[in-house]
Amino acid sequence: METANGARIDRATAAALAATVLMATALGLIFFYVPNDASEGYSQRIFYLHVPIAMTTYVLFVWGALNAARYLWTGDESLDLRSYVPMHLGTVFGTLTLITGSLWAQISWGTWWDWSSTELNSFLIIFLFYCAYFMLRFSVEPGERRARYSAVYALLGVGLIPVSVLAVHLGQDIIHPITFTRHGANMDNSMLLTFLVSLAAMLVLAYSMYEVELRGKRLDDRIARLRRLAREPAG
Amino acid sequence: MILSGSIDETAVHYVAAAYGVAWVVVLGYVVILNSKLGRLERQLDEVVGLLEARRGHG
Repeated sequence: METANGARIDRATAAALAATVLMATALGLIFFYVPNDASEGYSQRIFYLHVPIAMTTYVLFVWGALNAARYLWTGDESLDLRSYVPMHLGTVFGTLTLITGSLWAQISWGTWWDWSSTELNSFLIIFLFYCAYFMLRFSVEPGERRARYSAVYALLGVGLIPVSVLAVHLGQDIIHPITFTRHGANMDNSMLLTFLVSLAAMLVLAYSMYEVELRGKRLDDRIARLRRLAREPAG
Repeated sequence: MILSGSIDETAVHYVAAAYGVAWVVVLGYVVILNSKLGRLERQLDEVVGLLEARRGHG
């Protein structure tokens, strides 16, 4: 992509610009367009933040696991970073999911956490599983062995995601409502539109963060290599 | 989900807290990236210094 004066816009910049526009649109829809929910009232607006963040967390973990599988398949070193960065962002988004979810739970159910809810507990298990990913990764020396261990661990965790989604639908959780059923979304069209724009905004924001973080890590690697070369005796 | 027109003040505080937390986390992420850029800049300066010193000796 190029600007009018010929400057090239990279993917990270394009994604950040798209995220800004989508986020502004989403906030406009959430606070000035979508009506209050009859049963939950104004607090239901947390739904448009909490659910897209939770879905983005799942997407990031799946994305990281897919890159981990590709790394194990091809042995391409760049895929190790492409697997690590979504895992890192996934835990950031996962933390936000837990915080926004707790706030919503407090105003809706009168409790910060409900240990009987299958969805909450399975999400917490997935989140803690991926937190342990970093303990494993940074306990092994950088290199092929670390990349391989991390990839296998990332792949093991992704199996928990469909289990988490299925557990909610099979368990018929009564306290945590099921908004998306086999027959479609259980909400008004204006709410669905707001939700979809918020989801798109969150996914694009995560993508722009991914591109920026990946670029930073690559730059880090290159500078470390440059430092090693600069310290080597000349000749 | 069904539509309604009433607004509860406590709910407004919770909604503001949820959106505020998200905003603070994104801002924190930018601050961390900025400090990382600062570190990379310092490391790059060190490399430039090493290369210039080598050039001076050679």
